[in-house]
Amino acid sequence: MSTESKLAPIRKGLLEFLVLKIVGGQSVYVPDILRRLAGTEFATQEGTLYPLLSKLRREDLVQYEWQESDAGPPRKYYRLTDTGKAQLAALDEYWNRINRTISDIGH
Amino acid sequence: MQRISVTARLNRSTLQFEEAAYARLESYFAEAARTLAGNPDQAEILADLEQAVADQCTKRMQTEQGTVTLAELQPALEEIGSVQVPGAAGAADHPARDAMRPLQQVSEGAMISGVCQGLARYFGLDVTLLRVIAVLLLFVTGGGMILVYLILMLLLPYAPAEPGGKPIRKIPARSRAFVGFVRSKLSTVTN
Repeated sequence: MSTESKLAPIRKGLLEFLVLKIVGGQSVYVPDILRRLAGTEFATQEGTLYPLLSKLRREDLVQYEWQESDAGPPRKYYRLTDTGKAQLAALDEYWNRINRTISDIGH
Repeated sequence: MQRISVTARLNRSTLQFEEAAYARLESYFAEAARTLAGNPDQAEILADLEQAVADQCTKRMQTEQGTVTLAELQPALEEIGSVQVPGAAGAADHPARDAMRPLQQVSEGAMISGVCQGLARYFGLDVTLLRVIAVLLLFVTGGGMILVYLILMLLLPYAPAEPGGKPIRKIPARSRAFVGFVRSKLSTVTN
């Protein structure tokens, strides 16, 4: 098994965490999220992002509201719900913990 | 007589598409709907994607009031990417799934409709070999091969587009639109 095939599922699993982080910063619409992730290991596409955001909304982690835009149709702006904020804090905490474990182990 | 363009309503936008582009658009959303089958948010995700496609096409269109061509639609769809369901492992993660590959035709990179490519994929053979055999059979059967090809073209389902796959040429796009037309006629007759 190549290294890449082991890394791909890790990225896939972490994408949700990163999207929560981005949405947690300020209310954003999908092109904002794509821009923030573009050029990183987590660069993604609308085809992936919309189903993921729908899932997060169904889990009551994010919510959206329509906002008028200067050009074109109104846009969906996403932000975290209280449940979403709590889950993001928990994920952040957990991520720091496993990060420490990974760097401590084997030394 | 030939239809030049199709007007499509994509969520909150209305755009004109060239016939070939419209066929590609139809197959993209058919595949997206299949991938999202059973998802409680299917309709909403498809509406979001329609808007994304409309926005991308508007951005890429050369002229203000023009018609979206296949050449403009293709990069737009590539940027949006095929629908990925969160949590589900992609086909690429499961090489074992190739063992159960269904018999399908493959529009991307096809010469006529993608029957040879589909057969090549199914039997694990080189597509050029299949095409040479098809042409030989055409002569040996005195044209009977055309009938066989037409039947396969009408019956075989289309393989979903792969991310980063080859573009669909004009003839396969037309043949796909034609097959869609025949299938819809047949379904109205049988109903």
